[in-house]
Amino acid sequence: MTKLNVEVVTPEKRLLSVQADDVVVPGHPGLFGVRPGHTPVLSIMDDGPLTLRDGTSTQVFHVEGGFVEVGPDLVRVLANAAYPVATIDVAAAQKRLDEATARLKGLAADDARFLVEAAVVRKEAARIASATRK
Amino acid sequence: MASLRDIRKRIKSVKSTQQITKAMKMVAAAKLRKAQEAIIAARPYAGMLDQMISDLAARSESVGHPLLQTRPAKACELVVLTSDRGLAGGFNSNVIRRASRFLFENAKTYEHITVSTIGRKGHDFFRKNLAEGGAGKNGAHAQFRKDFAGLYTRVSFQTAQDIATELTTLFLTGKVDAVYLVYNEFLSAISQRVSLVPLLPLSGPPAAEGADAKAKASARSLVDFKYEPAREDVLAKLVPQALAIKVYRALLESVAAEHGARMSAMENATNNASDMIGKLTLFYNRTRQAVITKELMEIVSGAEALK
Repeated sequence: MTKLNVEVVTPEKRLLSVQADDVVVPGHPGLFGVRPGHTPVLSIMDDGPLTLRDGTSTQVFHVEGGFVEVGPDLVRVLANAAYPVATIDVAAAQKRLDEATARLKGLAADDARFLVEAAVVRKEAARIASATRK
Repeated sequence: MASLRDIRKRIKSVKSTQQITKAMKMVAAAKLRKAQEAIIAARPYAGMLDQMISDLAARSESVGHPLLQTRPAKACELVVLTSDRGLAGGFNSNVIRRASRFLFENAKTYEHITVSTIGRKGHDFFRKNLAEGGAGKNGAHAQFRKDFAGLYTRVSFQTAQDIATELTTLFLTGKVDAVYLVYNEFLSAISQRVSLVPLLPLSGPPAAEGADAKAKASARSLVDFKYEPAREDVLAKLVPQALAIKVYRALLESVAAEHGARMSAMENATNNASDMIGKLTLFYNRTRQAVITKELMEIVSGAEALK
């Protein structure tokens, strides 16, 4: 069976260039799986887990938004940032999440800080979700 | 005439200066290597993003995105990229000179020009020169806007994105109609070129370079992509990203160019110090001989007189 050529790049470096049997990508409407022979798709990515499975080994990364290009035998992930989920410090992320949530409560919805804090909440929640996913 | 001791002192001081310039050169060389690696590491992403945009543009008839639209130019913003530190030869003065020329040349084109700076050297210059409501001899209406301070301690894509977002906001709210960026482009370790590029409105998708790339692009264009969520949404996300990448690249180039410039400046300084030490040593030895000769003559003539 053919395999997918997976490339994961961030603006700062090429993170990964490997082969995989299937890949689960955090697309904008939600996660979607890719196997060889997939229809070509160009999609926006949300913050979320990127799962690569090759044989019996599985690698999971957390990506912070970006784009993904899918071809018949290739997946190109252009992430704003990406790192293995194992490197996420859940306790620290939870702390930042709680702090941001607390600050958010005191803000009006039209405050300039509101969007900033809301973005932090979203980002940290996504990180925690990736790190603790089952 | 300088005494022997004075000359010895000078030689010593030149030597210690030389040691400093040598060390700075070494440091710059090490940092240059790192900066170069960062540029190379950023290439795949930029390349793929460019490709995505041109793919997309190839298939959508009208690329309608607010950031791509040219408006009658009234107000313009110039972003000047310099370094935080000096002692890098003409690195900063070249950029500043180019920026000043731009302000001078475009004083009539734009009703209003604002300047923002990245890097302390440019900040120092423009804050001083454009302080009085832009009444300086350079740009007639130029005004200093802001400084993105303390950026070089943390050059990352995130910072580039923050700058890009701020510029985008200015552009979209109509505060400025064009944004230019002036920075040192990194050509090689020993040469830099000042380049002034328009940042906003974003020019159309970059033309594929070379025939190979073109053939490849057209072959790829045949593949019909599905867009998730929709083509417009993807484009709306891609365009700001392309802008951020442009800023990021300029930052990296400037950092690499700075270290390159400092390296060659320090190399020159070290060589000059060597020359100076050579000359001083020669002078020292001549003086020493002259002193000996003079003393001998004194002794001899003293002995003569006693006869």
